[in-house]
Amino acid sequence: MPDPLVARLKQLIVETLRLEDVEPASIPDDEPLVGGGLSLDSIDALELVVHLEREFGIKIETSEEARGALASVASLAAFIRKRGDPARLPA
Amino acid sequence: MTAFGDAASTHAALMRGESALRPVPVLGGAGGDPVPMALMPGRAIDETNPPSWLGALRALAGAIPDGDWGSPERPVFVTGSNFGVGGLYALRQTGDAAFAAWGAPPTCTERLRVELGWGPDVSIISHACVSAHLGLIEASRALDAGVAREALVLSFDFLSPFVAGGFHALRILNGDFPAPFREGATGAIGLGDGAGFAVLARDRGDWVLDGQSLNNEMHHFTANRGDGSGFSGCLEATAAATRGRRVWYKGHGTGTLEAGRLEVAAAGRSFPGAPVVGWKGSLGHTLGSCGLVELAVAIESVRVGQTPGTYGRGGPAMSDCVAAGNFANGSFDGVVCASNAFGGAHASFLLCHA
Amino acid sequence: MLERWIQAAVTDDAGGEDPAATRARLKGRFPAGATRRMTTLGMIAGAALAGLDPGEGDAIVYASGYAESCALEAFLDSFPTPSPTLFQTSIHPSAVQQVMIGRQTPVREFLPHSGGRLIAFQALRAALLSPAPRVLLCGGEERGTWLLAHGLASDRTFGFAASLSRERPAGAAGRVRLAPADGAGELGLASLFDLFHGRSVFGGFIAPGWRLDLEWL
Repeated sequence: MPDPLVARLKQLIVETLRLEDVEPASIPDDEPLVGGGLSLDSIDALELVVHLEREFGIKIETSEEARGALASVASLAAFIRKRGDPARLPA
Repeated sequence: MTAFGDAASTHAALMRGESALRPVPVLGGAGGDPVPMALMPGRAIDETNPPSWLGALRALAGAIPDGDWGSPERPVFVTGSNFGVGGLYALRQTGDAAFAAWGAPPTCTERLRVELGWGPDVSIISHACVSAHLGLIEASRALDAGVAREALVLSFDFLSPFVAGGFHALRILNGDFPAPFREGATGAIGLGDGAGFAVLARDRGDWVLDGQSLNNEMHHFTANRGDGSGFSGCLEATAAATRGRRVWYKGHGTGTLEAGRLEVAAAGRSFPGAPVVGWKGSLGHTLGSCGLVELAVAIESVRVGQTPGTYGRGGPAMSDCVAAGNFANGSFDGVVCASNAFGGAHASFLLCHA
Repeated sequence: MLERWIQAAVTDDAGGEDPAATRARLKGRFPAGATRRMTTLGMIAGAALAGLDPGEGDAIVYASGYAESCALEAFLDSFPTPSPTLFQTSIHPSAVQQVMIGRQTPVREFLPHSGGRLIAFQALRAALLSPAPRVLLCGGEERGTWLLAHGLASDRTFGFAASLSRERPAGAAGRVRLAPADGAGELGLASLFDLFHGRSVFGGFIAPGWRLDLEWL
């Protein structure tokens, strides 16, 4: 059973960053988001941060913190579970 | 002109180790995280109509020597990054069309041109933080080619929620205060109001700009090539003008970590032994005007014989060449002034006495 | 007198084309995935510039009066949670940076002009005064939406690039000369574009005190 948070994050990545030819389910959980197979860069990561903050109630203060949280989909999910509003996590 | 006032006042404040940066809500009256900003006296970042920065710009323009500026023989180069973009933010937020008057570079500059009585030859050069350098280079070339007798370069950048919100979104403007050329776990910048002008002539003046150099990495919008080749590619050309001269180096140094490390390393290679200073930890990053603002402070430094050290409280300096304290500059022959910008743009020149 | 030879020129007039249609038409000129963050101006001016194969020894002079109007509009619309992508993209001279960063090609110098009434003349002057052996003069506009309603954006979408050299190349396409002269007249950026687009000859004032002679071979 796919993790609903991980699935939502992958969908958010595709929609927010306009990855037209990418199926959300095809994004590996543990591959680096920045500099990995999706060819995302630091600006993409920060764009994601804006949407993640809005959706999950997290707060990322610095570009260095963003880099750590967005190391992979798995690390991002862990970050959100730790720092996000539990009421906003997908069921 | 900075939050501290004119070049002399700014220099004096830097020498005293003062900072103009204060925590200000990133969206001004609309709130948001407090971030370091240095605003000119009497200013808030919220837009007014007419703009609250207009008085400061008029005061600065009052010091421009008389001349038929904007004529074919005396072209004007207005440089900056944001111009009246705060007006566009206010327009969008309020729907009040009156804010459109100064909103875009063409309209903002045209209003200034008319108000200051300039002729039509007013170029607008906009390339983020190297804008002022580009204005100086274009002015120099017009003079060297003999198609201008004098040239005026005017540079200004005043803060607004537009630009503060943007840098905050990039997470480099945050709650931390900048410490240029200092190591740390995280980097941070501050932003500052700034404005300045320079009159260039071919055959007279107290100061000479030599070794003007440009380079554009075209590597990434917000990052530099990791080998520092962008910095070196620009500085080496200016270094050729410094052979046989003892110089100090006025760096760009905004407070970001990677760019700071690369810049300091490149300065050390191109100008061995040159003390490196950066003032944005006190003045904030004055964006499109920083090249001219900091040139004015460098001139004042040479005039007075004292260079303010690098302001910023942080970890250890990135290199031994970073001068934390003030120093006497009388034994130096000149100062290299450098600026860098988004997209990996680099600019530098040597300033020395005529 | 300032003079350079035109090695080649590339122009694109989107006319009444819908922005989505312009993007779809130009998408194939860029690597896969590259256009997701590109603006219409970046694509139309960038495709023209890329067509001239910019290299490290080149200078690029870029002219756009209103630049990234749509990214600016979208960034302003994104508050109170401003988009870092749109902020970055809205900053002049993003259009050229979009294509050049995509190519990972450094350039010797890059002189972006924004503009005023005389932007065409001023950009051309900058190009002819550059010491670079080859100068790529490029530019364009993209049609705005709500900014246009306030007179703060272009009502037209077009892009162009011309390769200018000091020495006459084999197969030169034309020649451009600027000379001081008594007299007045002005030529806007869109009009300069039309001259290049139509390969039209011009002899007249481009700015007060400056005459432009444009010939095609």
